Amino acid sequence: MITTTPSEGPAISLTDVVKTYGRVRALDGLDLEVARGEVHGFLGPNGAGKSTTIRILLGILTHDSGRVRLLGEDPWKHAVALHRRLAYVPGDVELWPGLTGGEAIDLFARLRGGVDDRRRDELIDRFDLDPRKKGRTYSKGNRQKVALISALASNVDLLLLDEPTAGLDPLMEAVFQECIREAKDEGRTVLLSSHILAQVEALADQVSIIRKGRIVESGALSELRHLSRTAITVDVTTDVPQLRTMDGVHDLERIGTRLHFSADTAQLPAIVRTLGEHEIRSLTATPPTLEQLLLRHYDDTDSNDQPSDTQILTTAQSPAGLTSRSFTEVRS
Amino acid sequence: MTTRILTTHDEPPRPDDPSPGPRGLRREATAAGRQGGSLAGLATMIRFMLRRDRWRLPLWVLGLAALTAYFANAIGTVMDDEALASMTVFAQNPIMGLISGPGYGFENITLPRFIAGVYGVFLMLGAAMMNITTISRHTRVEEQTGRAELIRANVTGRNTQLIAALLVAVLMNAALSVLMTLAFRYSAAEPEPLSSVFLFSLGVGAVGCVFAAVTAVTSQFSAFARAGSGLAGAVLAGAFVIRGLGDMSAVQNGDLDWLAWLSPLGWAQQTAPFVLDRWWPLLLHLGLAAALILIAVGLQSKRDLAAGILADRLGRERAGASLSTPLGLALRLQRSSLTWWSIGVFTMAVVFGSFTGAMADSAAGMPPEIIDVMGGAAGIVDGYLGYMAMYFAMIITAYAVLAVLGLRAEEQGVRTEPVLAAAVGRSSWLLSWTCVTALGALWLMILAGVGDGVGAALSTGDWGLFGPSVLGHTAQTAAVWVLLALAVALYGFAPRLMGLTWIIFAYSAVMTLFGQMLQLDAKILDTSVFRHVGQYPAQDLSAEAVLLLLGVSAVLVCLGVLGFRRRNLVTA
Repeated sequence: MITTTPSEGPAISLTDVVKTYGRVRALDGLDLEVARGEVHGFLGPNGAGKSTTIRILLGILTHDSGRVRLLGEDPWKHAVALHRRLAYVPGDVELWPGLTGGEAIDLFARLRGGVDDRRRDELIDRFDLDPRKKGRTYSKGNRQKVALISALASNVDLLLLDEPTAGLDPLMEAVFQECIREAKDEGRTVLLSSHILAQVEALADQVSIIRKGRIVESGALSELRHLSRTAITVDVTTDVPQLRTMDGVHDLERIGTRLHFSADTAQLPAIVRTLGEHEIRSLTATPPTLEQLLLRHYDDTDSNDQPSDTQILTTAQSPAGLTSRSFTEVRS
Repeated sequence: MTTRILTTHDEPPRPDDPSPGPRGLRREATAAGRQGGSLAGLATMIRFMLRRDRWRLPLWVLGLAALTAYFANAIGTVMDDEALASMTVFAQNPIMGLISGPGYGFENITLPRFIAGVYGVFLMLGAAMMNITTISRHTRVEEQTGRAELIRANVTGRNTQLIAALLVAVLMNAALSVLMTLAFRYSAAEPEPLSSVFLFSLGVGAVGCVFAAVTAVTSQFSAFARAGSGLAGAVLAGAFVIRGLGDMSAVQNGDLDWLAWLSPLGWAQQTAPFVLDRWWPLLLHLGLAAALILIAVGLQSKRDLAAGILADRLGRERAGASLSTPLGLALRLQRSSLTWWSIGVFTMAVVFGSFTGAMADSAAGMPPEIIDVMGGAAGIVDGYLGYMAMYFAMIITAYAVLAVLGLRAEEQGVRTEPVLAAAVGRSSWLLSWTCVTALGALWLMILAGVGDGVGAALSTGDWGLFGPSVLGHTAQTAAVWVLLALAVALYGFAPRLMGLTWIIFAYSAVMTLFGQMLQLDAKILDTSVFRHVGQYPAQDLSAEAVLLLLGVSAVLVCLGVLGFRRRNLVTA
């Protein structure tokens, strides 16, 4: 059944979606909106509900309550029609042991409605995959490539990618990023679930952060940055007493001639003006990284409420301006 | 699951500590290191396997012992002397020879002889299955999943896992033999003497040990656990059929009784407990198991970890035109299993069919009771062919149920999700798979009919048997489809309960094979799905029964589709 869909309206829209597994609330009133043509980063630790959300969007899982729309349609009712217009790459691709990679690529694309052979061969070349090998002989990274090539070679409106580059090496990661930029240029919508922050930072226009089944932050990366703090290091001959009382200055510390503090991004103009009155030998300002954006949501709760929170924190590179408080607290 | 392995690393050994490691790998490594090292860590490995199997092992062993107790008590209670005497003739018919055994001492039948002679082989099949799954689980499955690599990276020898698994299997078989002896000895059948009871139980354990060794060898060939255990299963089926043919010949005083001596199952039956009480055939088991273990160790020492002996070849770069639809995918995924089943079923059918001639020749000398069981007035040949149709229906039901279980394995292996994430509807996927399995079952039944027909025609010279054989077998497909459809319905609603299909299947099979012998009421016997179509050409085919079975199948498949459309998919 082919349905006509209004071309306006968001590509993905979830409103107050709840999904429970017995007593566990996997999604707890999740709201998410992805506009057409954007690359939307979907961030969160393992177990936060990213995959559950994507599988509800695919119509593979039911949800208990709330409203789900994919390209304007209910994905549970119109799964087949919608699936002609999207491609999905899971984070853990399983292939049939007896089918070759090439066969799996063709199969997925054909079941979706067709494969662009030229594009397929080009992608196989770019991702450096031997399509003649049997599924059981592929490593994790190569299985991932099979699903990626098949998805990218399909002529679809929407890409649902659930940690798609798990197991890929850095070279292939670069190829992947190129391909996503091309997809964006062609006007496709991409929902990119990931916990590789650099990847999301490099690709996404918009970012949503999920935590325990709820979206805790959503917006353009630049807007989100604005809400966070910039790490500043100043080498200055004299002390700057005004900083101690200024709004928006945190964790001020003086080591020798160096002042370290973090500043609310919104207060930066005032802080820079104040510093301007002093003999500054050097000044380093580090804009907030995505890590810090994430940490804003993950460091203010008990360290033991979710083990994966801690994992994110400890694997994130410690940004210079991040308060030592948050790190020690969470690690303890 | 790897707790035991991990605990040995909880405290890293301090270099200044002169005492050997706390327990486990390190100490044994040094001891084994002096012996060449290919068995380093054996004791730890055995403890670890026993820990992993702390539920599985007792369930198998107690389950088989309980089955023994059930057979012995049920038969011991139901059968009075008169009923038993009437069994004498019955239990000596060629079909009983085929499915049960040579029937030692049945001319002067006693309860223990009857139980050992008729049910013994099924306990042996159970023990063999227990060993095949145990060895596969602890060796090739471990390699395939990559867990063996983690083990081997520690101080463990190349053959440690294999030998540890074999020792665990031997332990299971020993425990089984002891418990079976107790269960049988203290049953209502009151067998005497104890030594014969023990001989019987030891035979079952010995068969188990042989199949542990068989699996150790078959698991070497392919990197794929299912291929290894499947091959071991094929050896088991071959062993069953060969001794069946030998025993069929034996009860007819034919000259092919030596065939039974080619099968480990046959050896155990040739110990003839409660009759001849021969212990020496068990030496054959011992010798074969030892030889197979040597071969397995030799093969394992030559190959890489997680590799097969048969290398994977490169395949097609592009998918063929048929691999474009759910139906094409379902066919492709079931193709190789269907091919092997086709070869197996056809071979078996030709062999079984070719015994028709011998059956007809000896019919003149058979007592009327046997003629009666074999189809009565219609004649022994028609009776035999009709019985074969039903017999193959049971065998092919196993194919159909296994194929539908494959659907669940696809889902659990997260391979169904990407298919449904493409433009494939749930009904379409489920119906495609079911359709391939159903047509596969029909194909196998026709093949069995052709095989039996060809065998019968060649051995009797009467090609008039061919057509009826094909028709009789084909008609039985309706019964196969009912159980296939039941599995589909369970898959749709509650995949975890799919095992229930096996229980219904086992019940139907037991009712059909033994129900008449247990002198059960016809109404009870008719609860078996295999007893409705009619054993053509001995009996008339019932069109109503066929239509009814087809109707039930259709309804069950529809239910399955409804359920599958509603439920959540199993995801990673």
